[in-house]
Amino acid sequence: MQYPEPIAQLIESYMKLPGIGSKTATRLAFYTISMENDDVTNFAKALIAAKRDLHFCSICGNITEEDPCIICKDQSRDQSTILVVEESKDIMSMEKMKEYHGLYHVLHGVLSPIEGTGPEDINIAALLTRLQQHDNVKEVIVATNASSEGEATAMYLSRLIKPAGIKVTRLAHGLSVGADIDYADEMTLFKAVEGRTEI
Amino acid sequence: MILSELKLHNFRNYEDLSVDFSPGVNVLIGENAQGKTNLLEAVYVLALTRSHRTANDRELIKWQAHEAALTGRVEKQGGSVPLELIFSSKGKKAKVNHLEQARLSQYVGQLNVILFAPEDLYLVKGAPALRRHFMDQEFGQMSNKYLYNSGQFRTILKQRNQYLKQLQFKQQHDRVLLQVLSDQLAAYGAEIIVARAAFLKKLEKWAQTIHETVAQHKEELTFHYVTQVKLDEPSSVEAVYQQLLDLYLNNETKEIEQGSTQYGPQRDDLRFLINQKNVQTYGSQGQQRTTALSVKLAEIDLMREQTGEYPILLLDDVLSELDDARQTHLLTAIQNKVQTFLTTTSLSGIAQQLIQTPTIFNISHGTLTKEEPQ
Ligand SMILES: Nc1ncnc2c1ncn2[C@@H]1O[C@H](COP(=O)(O)OP(=O)(O)O)[C@@H](O)[C@H]1O
Ligand SMILES: [Mg+2]
Ligand SMILES: [Zn+2]
Repeated sequence: MQYPEPIAQLIESYMKLPGIGSKTATRLAFYTISMENDDVTNFAKALIAAKRDLHFCSICGNITEEDPCIICKDQSRDQSTILVVEESKDIMSMEKMKEYHGLYHVLHGVLSPIEGTGPEDINIAALLTRLQQHDNVKEVIVATNASSEGEATAMYLSRLIKPAGIKVTRLAHGLSVGADIDYADEMTLFKAVEGRTEI
Repeated sequence: MILSELKLHNFRNYEDLSVDFSPGVNVLIGENAQGKTNLLEAVYVLALTRSHRTANDRELIKWQAHEAALTGRVEKQGGSVPLELIFSSKGKKAKVNHLEQARLSQYVGQLNVILFAPEDLYLVKGAPALRRHFMDQEFGQMSNKYLYNSGQFRTILKQRNQYLKQLQFKQQHDRVLLQVLSDQLAAYGAEIIVARAAFLKKLEKWAQTIHETVAQHKEELTFHYVTQVKLDEPSSVEAVYQQLLDLYLNNETKEIEQGSTQYGPQRDDLRFLINQKNVQTYGSQGQQRTTALSVKLAEIDLMREQTGEYPILLLDDVLSELDDARQTHLLTAIQNKVQTFLTTTSLSGIAQQLIQTPTIFNISHGTLTKEEPQ
């Protein structure tokens, strides 16, 4: 037996979300039907509004309602450092920490030939243009993940940016704050030792 | 170390199995297709989180079931450690001491096994890939760092080969990214080459002693690690990294034309020599087998040297492949030393004489019955 078309379409839509397979999508679809009318309407409105009202900042690539985004517009922020992240949500994490006061740049991905992602497929060109136009940038901090793709992306950026006389640094990997050495796995420790900094 | 208990749920043709093993020689007797290899495979999987027979974990789950569970108890010097592995359509979960491990590399190494199957007799004669697999397999069990480095290497090699193809077909043009991938590959490649060379030196020492007794001191067995780089004594990772990097840099155009990586440990090989002659080309079939046997037995000693514990030995149908003299040698070398699981359709005369107090299990259609000693 086939599902009625409206529910089949809903299942298909849920399946487009990352990490959701047909089983979960089916569960979500049936749950949606059982929800209050208002909740469903708000849900649908939120989806449409998010897509309609949010854009990518033309300078840094962050998601924003206004272009440029509030971070790029904020002249009180340190204009001499740019922190490069993989995704917009990484900016949220950094901002929660409240210790970084410079600017950001969002790559929207990492270099991965297997995924078909080359240098032209992520937001690298805009970063280079930005550095050419603003010669007050002294340091680029690359905060991509510690995966081999994140590392390759960091090395790639460093090779392009360093010759221009701009300092390129990498976030130290290793023990997360509060992690107990006893419980850290060997590779994390190894990385932590390798990435140690002078004090 | 000793595997004292094993429980299987929906693993291959075992629906529910719960068995206590002896610390000595466990003999698994059964007709073909009853589940002998499946049981050894279960022990192997419990140790390494993956099978030696298939890369597809789905095959390990009993047909029509959704989830397979393997639990075991390992007795070691430090005490007794419960291990648990669960396979489902979502992937696998590994627990040590009931605690789920975030990475499989944290789990591997709790239980060490050495598997000896008839294919291993081709270690000397077979293709180079077999010997590389052998090195990665064994050294990965002995060293977390080796396991991590070879995993990273494989990932980056795939990326680099893919990128070379994209350059070859002009879908990509940026050579800087290629150089970054070369740099990464050279860094992990150098770690692997240097580690292999060092482990092989140690393995060679153990294999020589063993081989001398089998061949009654007439033969000297030596190893030669065949690699594209020059290895100094002692070899430094930095020097190998630099050589690999140069190879990649100097052969960029050639590698792009080929669309694949031509240099690195994925091309290396291991050569066995008896009295300085290559056993693969000049050795008799007997010498090739004796060499394979010596190397396998040497692994037991190396594993103990590296980890402080003897591993568990799994012998799948090998006795029937060996003549009396080699069976005798194998059985005397392992008895009273390592816990052994041995499968066979019937125990040969020589094995019956030699195995002092075997614990015998009869296997039929995925059920085990312990034969009570008379
Ligand atoms: N996933 C599975 N579920 C159920 N049975 C399986 C599965 N995989 C293999 N088998 C069965 O296991 C048997 C093979 O067992 P095996 O241990 O290789 O035999 P042997 O005793 O000859 O070593 C075959 O009968 C095969 O049908
Ligand atoms: Mg079998
Ligand atoms: Zn912005």
